[in-house]
Amino acid sequence: MTRPEVAPPRPWTFPAPRETVLRNGIRVLLHDLPGQYVHSLRVVIPSSLATEPPGLDGVSAMTARLLDEGTSEHTAEELAELMERNGMVLGAAVSDGGYLVDVDVPASRLSTAAGLLTAALSDPVFPETEVRRIVRSRLAEIEQERASAGVRAAREMARTLWDPADRAARPGAGSADSVRALTRDDVVAHHARTIGPSGATVVLAGDLSDLDPERILDETLGGWTSSTHEPAPAAVAPVPAADRSRVVVVDRPGSVQTEIVVACPGPDRSTPHGWAPHPVLSFVVGGSPGARLDAVLREDKGYTYGIRCAFRPRVAGGSFVTSGSVRTEVTGEAVQLVLGILDDVRDGLTDAETRAGVDYVSKTAPGRYATADTVADESAALALEGLPPDFTTCNLRAVAELTPESLAEAYRRTVTGEWSVVLVGDAESVVPALDGVVPGTVTTVDV
Amino acid sequence: MPLDYPIHRRTLPNGLRVLVSPDHTVPNVTLNLWVGVGSRHEETGRTGFAHLFEHLMFQGSRDVRSGEHFEALMAEGGRLNATTWFDRTNYFETVPSGALELALWLEADRHGRLLDAVTQENLDNQRDVVKEEKRQRYDNQPYGTALVDVYAAVFPEGHPYHHPTIGSMEDLDAASLQDVHAFFRRYYAPDNTVLTVCGDVEPEEAFILVERHFGPLDAQRRPARADLAQLEPLTAPVRVERRRSVPNDRLHVAFRLPVDGTDELVAATVALDCLGGLSTSRLVRRLVRREQVAVGVHATAWGFVDGVSLGFVVLDIAPDADPETAELALVEELDRLATDGPTAAELEASLAQNERAWLSALASQEERADLISRSTLLHDDPGIVNTHLDRVRAVTPERVAEATRRWLAPDSRAVVAYLTDDVADEEAVA
Repeated sequence: MTRPEVAPPRPWTFPAPRETVLRNGIRVLLHDLPGQYVHSLRVVIPSSLATEPPGLDGVSAMTARLLDEGTSEHTAEELAELMERNGMVLGAAVSDGGYLVDVDVPASRLSTAAGLLTAALSDPVFPETEVRRIVRSRLAEIEQERASAGVRAAREMARTLWDPADRAARPGAGSADSVRALTRDDVVAHHARTIGPSGATVVLAGDLSDLDPERILDETLGGWTSSTHEPAPAAVAPVPAADRSRVVVVDRPGSVQTEIVVACPGPDRSTPHGWAPHPVLSFVVGGSPGARLDAVLREDKGYTYGIRCAFRPRVAGGSFVTSGSVRTEVTGEAVQLVLGILDDVRDGLTDAETRAGVDYVSKTAPGRYATADTVADESAALALEGLPPDFTTCNLRAVAELTPESLAEAYRRTVTGEWSVVLVGDAESVVPALDGVVPGTVTTVDV
Repeated sequence: MPLDYPIHRRTLPNGLRVLVSPDHTVPNVTLNLWVGVGSRHEETGRTGFAHLFEHLMFQGSRDVRSGEHFEALMAEGGRLNATTWFDRTNYFETVPSGALELALWLEADRHGRLLDAVTQENLDNQRDVVKEEKRQRYDNQPYGTALVDVYAAVFPEGHPYHHPTIGSMEDLDAASLQDVHAFFRRYYAPDNTVLTVCGDVEPEEAFILVERHFGPLDAQRRPARADLAQLEPLTAPVRVERRRSVPNDRLHVAFRLPVDGTDELVAATVALDCLGGLSTSRLVRRLVRREQVAVGVHATAWGFVDGVSLGFVVLDIAPDADPETAELALVEELDRLATDGPTAAELEASLAQNERAWLSALASQEERADLISRSTLLHDDPGIVNTHLDRVRAVTPERVAEATRRWLAPDSRAVVAYLTDDVADEEAVA
């Protein structure tokens, strides 16, 4: 049987939202997606982690987490039961640019869900017992994160990559010390100051036929007001550490693998040079078993289950991060190979790589944005980043125009050959293996 | 809302069961294959083989060179992978509609003509990759081997579910090219496979394309052994304790459950929801919210077909709390649920959350295709995707209490405790 020909894909654009404004000024983006019977509702509120009060790192994350732990109408348990009986799930998180609160709910319960979400945002009472409980729970989580090589590595990388005075160098959700210090009053004050309808965007994606989403949202989130909310300053890109070009080994005695993370500062999606090359570069360098990193480290050497790289945009600034784990014995050689491969890309990409990367990023888009939750997540991210709703579609057009030269140029803008390297593993085995393998100093820290 | 995802079914003369579910909302098609072989079919001394074999399926076949399967599909906008589990091995890709035939050609080549290309070099390389996967996901994770201990504690030696899908390092080392050939001939055949096409394609066109590429494959005509008889619950508690460098104590409390596809398993699943599967479950309210001896409680049921399923509750013990207190509370709540059954609110919450989770899964073409393959391979009934929620809705408080009494009795529990090693001089409770 001969190899079949492939018919060209049908044209596709990111589902365009219908834009409207609620009576309190909140901007609304509605994505009608036929056949999507679970609705995804997102609220983004610009806010800056850099304005957390000194010593209270993590107060934003704790505030987000405590939103659904009791309102003036319902206790924490009542609220949990109401949400659960309505098939609703609510999550809240915080990034460098603000809060993201997300709700998924079957279409038939949208109205109830929007009402409960409004109460959680506008009227949380932060009961003392719940604050204490969530603090304890977060402290236990911090210990669990420390025990995980991947999370521990990410934390050390933030500390190595960014200037010590920059908020980005410290964990977004706080350290054990800062979380332990949090009081109910801190959370109440932080909510009053940072969470309000001003500047917020609401995204709703799902099958909107037989519904009046504007009315439902206006009757719920449209009634949300705040007299204390202070508009957030614009997010600022983190300042790289002056001494970021170095190697840090986090000693995790007895580890059978070494977690490797290699990074440098990178762009956000608003970069004036254009975002388009970055996802293509991520794919070609470290986005598949056939990409440059895994072709050597996995498919040729068998050192790893997989090493991946990606440009990770923040709301402002970002990073280019390569990560994966290898067995302890080959750590030295693996680090050398990774750095060599990453540096080699500065010399350019082949036509075949360019075509494969462009095709992958362009043609996978319809599938990556095929469900209500993925459309809502992208739309909410764009809103928080201050990008227009047609960004995704325009970016795909730009992807199609990329050449080996434009890709290499974009790569060289970020990758200068100065790397921050973090290795989480058995220091006794790992450190001697780095001799002559990595440039710069090697520091060892405890797990 | 009654579900009515369209599903068309045909069986090729070689036994391949083909399901087509058209959906034109996105210009993509998902191709999903379930092969009726998983770790439950592995022989002593060859644990982990089904999964290692799955890796070799990406290393080339007669007309496809090593790595080309990934490359060719990704360059056309395909997203693809494969997974191995106790009951099956699953291969899947989602591609733009125009690349469906390419995907079928690639799949047919490896599912029919793999052995023409397998080499010792590829086997050795993928053996190394799988060993790194085991280190990354099990050996180098704080509680990474706890479930391996759970399988061994709950299921008897020699039972198909006694060992994990990842296998052991020794058995991975022992795997030979001869094993690869024998395994492929024994299990990879159209009459041991289900193929689902879900997405932007007309049923008739999909059937023609599948027939064109999979029609020439030979049936094996070797009947599978009958599934084992239902395994009864444990008759006395089993206990395994590990002192480890873990951040906090964690208990896995596991039970044998009725096989997949039974009303009794659905009732037992709802029982586990009431205990620990929801944010308002009894153990969450009591141990996490009120007594605060746990920082997290989770409960889940995994349906299997070979004579038994697995249910377990995970209790993440608060740093300064006593794991025994939490375990005693679990025993009390098991007794209470067995006696009183669930409340109306608990049943409503379980149903509502099951409904959202099921609808969310079906909202994605990929997961819908996977559920259609699953329902057909394991139960010969693709319509389960449309009827499953009716079955959950039919669960009564009495059935939940009954399932709790029969399957979740405290004496039938196996406890795997991972305890912090900073109190190593403390006497372990055997």
